[in-house]
Amino acid sequence: MSIFVDPKLGLIPSPFHASLAEQNRAHSWYDWAGYAAPSVLDSMEFEYFALRNQSSLFDISPMHKYRIAGPDAAQMLNRLVTRDIRKIKTGRVGYAVWCDEEGMVIDDGTLFHLGDDDWRLCCQEPMLTWLLDAAWGFDVVVKDETHDVAGLSLQGPTSFAVLEAAGLDVAHLKPFDLVKIEPDLMISRTGFTGDLGYELWCAWDKAEALWDRIWQAGTHQGLRAIGYDALNIARIEAGFLTAGVDFQPVHATERLHRGQTPFELGLGWLVDFEKGHFNGRRALLSKQHAQRSLLLRCDVEGFKPAQGALIYNGRKREVGHITSGIWSPTAKKNVALAHVRMPDAQRASRLMAEIYTLEEGKWDTRMARLTPVQGAFFAPPRARATPPART
Amino acid sequence: MSNFDAIVVGGGINGLVAGAVLGRKGKKVCIIERADRFGGMASYAVDGGPSLAHALYNLSPRALKDAGIDVDRATFTGQQIDTVSLADDGNHIVFKANGVYWNDGSQHPQSKAWCELIQRFKTYGGLLRQLAEAPPPGGHSASLSRARLAEMLRLAKVGIGLKMLGKSEMRRFLQVVLSNVYDIVLDDLPDGPVAGMLAADAIRGAATGPRSPGTVFNLIYRLGHGGTITQPTGGMTAVVDTLVDGAKAADCTLLPGTEVSRILVDLDAVTGVQTADGQTLRAPLVLSNLASPLTSQLTGPSLFDIEATRRIRNIRARGTAAKVNLRLKDASPLPGLKSEQKDARLIYAPSADYVEAAFNPAKYREMSKAPVIEALRTEQPDGSHWVSAIVQYAPSDLDGGWTQEAQDRLAQITVDTLDCALPGLREQITDTQVITPDQIATATGAPGGHWHHAEMSLDQLLTLRPANGISRYAFGPKGLFLCGAATHPGGDVMGLAGRNAALMALEVQK
Ligand SMILES: Cc1cc2nc3c(=O)[nH]c(=O)nc-3n(C[C@H](O)[C@H](O)[C@H](O)COP(=O)(O)OP(=O)(O)OC[C@H]3O[C@@H](n4cnc5c(N)ncnc54)[C@H](O)[C@@H]3O)c2cc1C
Repeated sequence: MSIFVDPKLGLIPSPFHASLAEQNRAHSWYDWAGYAAPSVLDSMEFEYFALRNQSSLFDISPMHKYRIAGPDAAQMLNRLVTRDIRKIKTGRVGYAVWCDEEGMVIDDGTLFHLGDDDWRLCCQEPMLTWLLDAAWGFDVVVKDETHDVAGLSLQGPTSFAVLEAAGLDVAHLKPFDLVKIEPDLMISRTGFTGDLGYELWCAWDKAEALWDRIWQAGTHQGLRAIGYDALNIARIEAGFLTAGVDFQPVHATERLHRGQTPFELGLGWLVDFEKGHFNGRRALLSKQHAQRSLLLRCDVEGFKPAQGALIYNGRKREVGHITSGIWSPTAKKNVALAHVRMPDAQRASRLMAEIYTLEEGKWDTRMARLTPVQGAFFAPPRARATPPART
Repeated sequence: MSNFDAIVVGGGINGLVAGAVLGRKGKKVCIIERADRFGGMASYAVDGGPSLAHALYNLSPRALKDAGIDVDRATFTGQQIDTVSLADDGNHIVFKANGVYWNDGSQHPQSKAWCELIQRFKTYGGLLRQLAEAPPPGGHSASLSRARLAEMLRLAKVGIGLKMLGKSEMRRFLQVVLSNVYDIVLDDLPDGPVAGMLAADAIRGAATGPRSPGTVFNLIYRLGHGGTITQPTGGMTAVVDTLVDGAKAADCTLLPGTEVSRILVDLDAVTGVQTADGQTLRAPLVLSNLASPLTSQLTGPSLFDIEATRRIRNIRARGTAAKVNLRLKDASPLPGLKSEQKDARLIYAPSADYVEAAFNPAKYREMSKAPVIEALRTEQPDGSHWVSAIVQYAPSDLDGGWTQEAQDRLAQITVDTLDCALPGLREQITDTQVITPDQIATATGAPGGHWHHAEMSLDQLLTLRPANGISRYAFGPKGLFLCGAATHPGGDVMGLAGRNAALMALEVQK
């Protein structure tokens, strides 16, 4: 996306910056929506295995957060997103996508139904102007809470035990439940890892105290702070899409036809044509059976990560590319998310990825067979058990 | 609950025509009008004074024909009138069909140049009329450029007309149509009342000055039906009555004095309307004579895409024309005018520069201290005599609002201006009425009280009228159409917008 940011301004510290900086032995920061965010704190492998075997803390404060409140909030949101949000009850969180008038995905995110006529939308892309436009004519107030609400993602099999040790009882929380557990703290059973996990939300100025409280509670549970690199592996294993990587948020594209419909992203299940009008509905009705490409989840032959590989049908015809590709340490296989144009995506028996490798100064390519699969690459039952296990 | 094939919301000129066209195609139509009488902006009047619109120059024979109304009715043919440009020194000049003359009957030195210019504009106007009589071609376009216009003319099959123009004249047309009236007119004429009259006609009802781009288009638009100006027999009320008769003859049900409070939609298709007095009327087709912001409000914002709503909100419609009606004490002629000029259209616009200067205050939300005026002398059915004046610029968003004091000031300025050129007029006035754009907006729903419901500027014309994506009358949910002045080709007492919308609705329904 071409938002110009004056480099002289530097990056903003997140509300957890002090704690993160203390642990950031790798001194590896990247720019996440203007914030200094860690990509690795000491070793990506350690962080990843903490996430899958113990528990991990990841700062999600840079996410964009918008409060949408007022008598027409549900109506306004139902016109915004493609799914029927009337089915998201108070105290629940729902995953949603929203489209432009052409039916191209603008972004995806999570909708927190906080109370009567009171919602929060959490997403990757800046969305305030769009939401203000979407709110016109409705009795709602849209407030950008990005810099008011701090978020901490606690993920991994011991995350429930960590919270318990911190004096926070969330045994009753089912996946996608949320609870205002203390006056200054909201916990939702959500995450971007496909594992057991929680997201903790508090006011910006309460962030450090929250960090310390969780950190102390985690000493016996193998809790580790992690950076984005470890999280990225987990989210690919879970089969989740990242904006700007696995799809191009259409407002951020400058070239024509870079946008994608929910159907092309395998998110057709989020589109409810029966609920009444929503943005892009008329366009999507005509486009739903006319996908130009499909996002596939694939097993990749061999063990070389396929990131960035071009995809061929047979040996010659280029039909797509890999958007995210990793060796999955937990699934013990080579996996990838891929865009494959139609109709090749539906006749995928001969799909091959041309993977580029660099070994000690030598570039090489190898062809690896792709096998499309349904669903996530890793979906442990512990992620859904309620009450959750302590280990 | 009643069932219809189509409901027309609003019984302005365009709503009446749309209803009649649909009725004549066998549809069972209901036309619902909030006011007690039909005609909308055209017939709006207060306390027995003259209506807002007072002259016919753009009434579309095509629209009348499709509405089943006899084009040659006396109401329309009425009385053709000349234009008199008023001068403070009493040396008025007269524009007739065949030339420009001094008050004493001798020919004005710019007569030939004026005739040539008008002739050229009329030819162009004929081309534009062909565009106006068809819905704008489909497809998307981001802007109106010369190339785009040429393309559109080709698509609209005005090709024959264009060929007759010849290649160099065609190039000239495309050059001229998008430019400003000041430059084009002063290319051929020195500045003065002849240029001033053209400049005044080019900006009437618009939030532009003669130097604003696209103003030539407005002038040509006025000449699209030949440029003849008539004062309808029986006034604008008679015109509206004729249209109402046409709608009745087409078996339309007419519901005056009834406000539509909601346009009903089920899933994504129109099902009818609800009225403020609690009736539900069903129809799978609803044509709205209102501008798009009001129509979308009546339907509910949920039914429109966010981008469409944004475009609708940003449509420019800032009314600048106020009506100032001066009641005269009796039938005696206006001072300073010859007897054959007594019914003429009076213009106060001594030069193009004057018109431009009048526009300046409007940029800063102020009224002109030296306004541009078009005035007609009219007699009302009750026998009262009036000067019916359209006064510019009186911006709808006047700084401080249109208080009584501001209205009095506008009346004062109008009388002062006219009295300069027609000394003694002041003594004949017994009463004044001021109808400001914000009053027009309240009374009729026209955004900003704008003459055309939406500024006729290059970014809001043809495929961009009233906004990109809604130029072919269909608006949001299935079965909903816009049919008012904000749609192509625009307003005036013309009827083409309503007629085009009705035909388009019929075609889409097929
Ligand atoms: C000061 C002034 C002078 C003018 N003079 C001339 C002139 O001399 N000659 C000329 O050709 N043109 C003139 N015009 C322009 C012309 O009057 C308009 O362009 C034309 O009348 C617009 O017609 P319409 O049918 O599109 O819209 P409108 O006339 O605006 O019709 C809309 C109708 O909808 C009705 N309505 C609104 N809300 C509701 C509701 N909720 N339910 C039901 N009904 C509703 C309104 O009452 C109205 O009748 C003048 C305009 C102005 C402002």
